[in-house]
Amino acid sequence: MRQAGTYSGILSGGISGKTGPHLLPLARIKKIMKKSGEDVKMISGESPIVFSKACELFIKELTQRSWMVTMQGKRRTLNKEDVASAVMVTDLFDFLVNLVSESGHSGEAPPPLELDTFTSS
Amino acid sequence: MGDEQNPLLPIANVGRIMKQILPPSAKVSKEAKETMQECVTEFISFLTSEASDKCRKESRKTIYGDDICRALGAVGLDNYAEAIVRYYINIG
Repeated sequence: MRQAGTYSGILSGGISGKTGPHLLPLARIKKIMKKSGEDVKMISGESPIVFSKACELFIKELTQRSWMVTMQGKRRTLNKEDVASAVMVTDLFDFLVNLVSESGHSGEAPPPLELDTFTSS
Repeated sequence: MGDEQNPLLPIANVGRIMKQILPPSAKVSKEAKETMQECVTEFISFLTSEASDKCRKESRKTIYGDDICRALGAVGLDNYAEAIVRYYINIG
C-alpha cells in the first residue's frame, strides 16, 4: 500500500472508508472546481469529498447566522436579505460581499462605489 | 439558476442542509435557498482558486484534499479544516 504524506495520508486513509452517499453531488462539485479558473488542471479523487464536508459546514454556519437576523426581525421565514445581512457582518465571508450585493439587495452595507456616475441633486 | 456555463449545487441538497440546522418550525424562502446556492458555489470557486494558486507556485498539477484544507486555513477557516480532518479520521 502506498505510504501517503502527512495530511493527505490522514484524509485519503479516512476518506477511502467513506464511499457512502454524500450530502452534495461530487460530480457537480468537481465541475464547479474546474470552472473556477484556467489554472485548475487535475483534481484528486478526494478533493470533492473534502469540499462536500466543507460546504456542509459553510451552509450550516451561514444559515445559522442568517437565522439570527431573521429572529432579530421577529420573523419565522428566513429570506434572502437575512443571508445578505449575515454575509455583511461576518468578516470571514468577505469574499461573498459582491455576490450578495449584486443580487439586487442593499442589505446593511453601503452600495458599491461607482466613481464617475455620481449624480448631484 | 445554474446552467452548463455556471453550474450551481442543486437547490434541493442545499435546502436540506439548511433545514438540518434550523428549528423545525422555521421556514426558508425560495430566494434565500437560491442565494445560499450561489454563496456556496462561490465558496467552492474561491477556495479552489486559493488551492490552485498554491499548487501552481509549488509546480504541482494536482489539487489534493489537503491543499483545500490548507486553503481553508489561509482564508481564516481553520476550524473547518480541523473539523474535516476529525470527521474523516473518525469514520475512516
